[in-house]
Amino acid sequence: MRWLRDLERMGILGINRRNADFTLRWNKRSLYPRVDDKLLSKRLCVEADIPVPRLLAVARRHFEIKQLPSQLANAADFVLKPARGAMGNGILVILGREGDRLLRPGGRTIEMGDVLYHAASIISGLYALGGHDDVAMVEERLKVHPVLREVATEGVPDIRVIVFRGIPVMAMTRLPTRRSDGRANLHQGAVGVGINIATGLTTHAILKNTPVRRHPDTKRPLLDLELPDFATTLEIAVRATDVTGLGYVGADVVVDATRGPVVLELNARPGLAVQLANRAGLEPRLLAVEQSWKPDMPVVERLALGRRLAVEHAPREDA
Amino acid sequence: MNRVPLWTGAALLAFGLSVFAWKILILGLPVLPSDAEGLWRVDLEITVRGTNRRGSVRTTLPSSGPGQTVFDEHSTSDRLNFTIREENGERSGVWSGRLTGVHTIGYGFRVQLEPFTVPIPPATDGAPLKAPEEVRERYARPVTNLGPDAPEVEGLLAALRVPPSDDRAAQLRLLYRFVADEIATAETGSSDPVLTLATREGNPEGKVDLLCALLRAVGIPARPVLGLRLESAQPVEPVVWAEAWIGGEWIPMSPTEGFFAQRPSSLLRLRTDADTLLETSGVSAETHRYTALRERLSSAEITAMMLPANPILERLSLYRLPVATQSVLRLILLLPLGALAVSLLRNVIGVPTFGTFMPVLIAYTLRATALGLGLALVGAVIALGIVGRLLLERLRLLLVPRLSILLCMVVLAATGLALAGAEFENRGLTGGVLFPMVILTMLIERFSVTLAEEGLREALTRAAWSTVVAVVVYPVFRSPLAEHLMFGFPELVVVVMGLLVWIGGYTGYRVSDLLRFRSLARGVEDLT
Repeated sequence: MRWLRDLERMGILGINRRNADFTLRWNKRSLYPRVDDKLLSKRLCVEADIPVPRLLAVARRHFEIKQLPSQLANAADFVLKPARGAMGNGILVILGREGDRLLRPGGRTIEMGDVLYHAASIISGLYALGGHDDVAMVEERLKVHPVLREVATEGVPDIRVIVFRGIPVMAMTRLPTRRSDGRANLHQGAVGVGINIATGLTTHAILKNTPVRRHPDTKRPLLDLELPDFATTLEIAVRATDVTGLGYVGADVVVDATRGPVVLELNARPGLAVQLANRAGLEPRLLAVEQSWKPDMPVVERLALGRRLAVEHAPREDA
Repeated sequence: MNRVPLWTGAALLAFGLSVFAWKILILGLPVLPSDAEGLWRVDLEITVRGTNRRGSVRTTLPSSGPGQTVFDEHSTSDRLNFTIREENGERSGVWSGRLTGVHTIGYGFRVQLEPFTVPIPPATDGAPLKAPEEVRERYARPVTNLGPDAPEVEGLLAALRVPPSDDRAAQLRLLYRFVADEIATAETGSSDPVLTLATREGNPEGKVDLLCALLRAVGIPARPVLGLRLESAQPVEPVVWAEAWIGGEWIPMSPTEGFFAQRPSSLLRLRTDADTLLETSGVSAETHRYTALRERLSSAEITAMMLPANPILERLSLYRLPVATQSVLRLILLLPLGALAVSLLRNVIGVPTFGTFMPVLIAYTLRATALGLGLALVGAVIALGIVGRLLLERLRLLLVPRLSILLCMVVLAATGLALAGAEFENRGLTGGVLFPMVILTMLIERFSVTLAEEGLREALTRAAWSTVVAVVVYPVFRSPLAEHLMFGFPELVVVVMGLLVWIGGYTGYRVSDLLRFRSLARGVEDLT
């Protein structure tokens, strides 16, 4: 049982504990649409002046689908996704056009008809949580910042920041791999790289629960990288969670080559793998937040508190 | 754990367990079923539509006799008069009166069945055992067209070289063997003894009638008998067999069921000399059905459960409900145990499954079939889901119609299975149709949505775990002990609720968490 005691000593948060003491307690069910519906989160963020990917087109009903080709006529590249999708499912990325054909990642080409069929599947609710009717939305395709693009050549790497009661407590960057089919999802085989919130440097990395040092595809080192514009990343993550009204949120931020960090989506049930990527437990930081939290703290103060907690509860170095 | 769930759970547990303990310790109710073999509760439910005139419904009632003891009879008469008549040692129940509208009447009883054997007297020393006059009058008269003078019968008896009439036992054995072995049994065969003999093929009724006719042709009194087959988890079916009079006893035998001079304990004897169990007059439409439930308690224990020494409990006893309701309740009351197992496996172990209760529902459907066959059916359904999706992918159909097409494919597959089951005379396969359709479709839907959302690997993982959980839960649904405890002591549902409150309040690690974070605990070196 030394194993169990090790985890307890590190303050590793288990699923039951996360659900009972954090998501159930701090995330009001009635506020879930603000994060589950990406159109709604986008609108709230735009109102609060938080950068998000630009919206190119929306199809709420099947008859609206046929307007998509003309709405997208000027967009060389774009991303079609369900407004209520989960875990990166149902996302169709178009990199560019070759005459009538549309180019997908991996060199495959498809027709506009395939795109419209995909939009129809989305509206029917194939990718939505619980299979309900959904909305198909088309966004600009973000250009990944060169620092991250060099490490991960596939998909869109993002930065997941866990924000508890407005204070950033832990972060990691998720780098897609060929195995994850370009998705930034850890359980589908993306690499998770822990970030020291105080410095913006990467600390540890995992692939499917196992520690790694290099990206499996590019063999580039993953540790001690400095993330571009990490201060802004943290700040917009915190401000985005403020507009949701939820207390325990995972904010996903993408660093665009030209626009800088933008908030891609928010998650009311963020996973626990961030602890593996950081080799640190969430619990000590969450408890410290509960002690230090004061009402109406300005964003700057909350970011400073997050950095201080990251130093005080730094991951153990004995690994 | 939080204090509130801890105490709430404890309170529920304490309440449920104290009622349970009170019923066992103070009222002396049986906690373990003694599992009396062959004890059944049988209900006959009849619905008739009247013609607004006087009419009657007459049915045969069982009597106690060799191998069966009938007790605890009761009837419902729904505005009619109910009387019991006795004739020739057989009883019938008659409901009579003005039949207006729909009458739902019924008759129920408990019966203890035992296998019994009748020794056949050895070859008698020249003196044929004479049956009493009234027996010979009723049961030894030759059957029309199959009397001793009929050419077919004469030829057959000569060919069989039937021994002289003083060796009744040998004659009986010879004719029984002939009908049992030389005449084929087919449900589609004739029920007419003449045709049965001519074509060497008959249905059970035809074979029994033929046996009786042949026995009477050599002078042995014989009669057909109608009864019910009572078997666990099988519908009640009418069965015919024969009885022959030798040495002062009626000897039971069946050329189709394959018993001779004995009767298995699955058969309940109802009446002789007729092929119907119900006769009506003044009735425009009639349906009836027998339901049977195997009792796991001895009759004394049943009495204790039905009439506990407490007026409130007496009113609440589930044992007083009609058999059909009891059967349903016995299943429903097992569901909380299944839910408890799933909650443990999901929240304490951390097993990924389709939805929350899909495994319970799968386990529930497995009850109807044998385990292996049921699992094969689940596998077939999942394979169908994959194939259906691959095929339908190309058609670019929208979600709901696509799932509906999958449902149609399930229905067709189930129909095919039923046909195959009938072809190979496999009752298990035919049971596939009973495999509830809605649950299968939900399974397919869950599976295909997971397939679309998270890929084949994840879908198969969850399907596999759902099946594992179902197999773990399945024995609970088949356990007579669990059934007795939950049905006899429904307060245990409150105990299950208490345990569920505890599981719900458990915020410690799941086993899956421990496995997932094991690299942190072991201090594994970073790898390249």
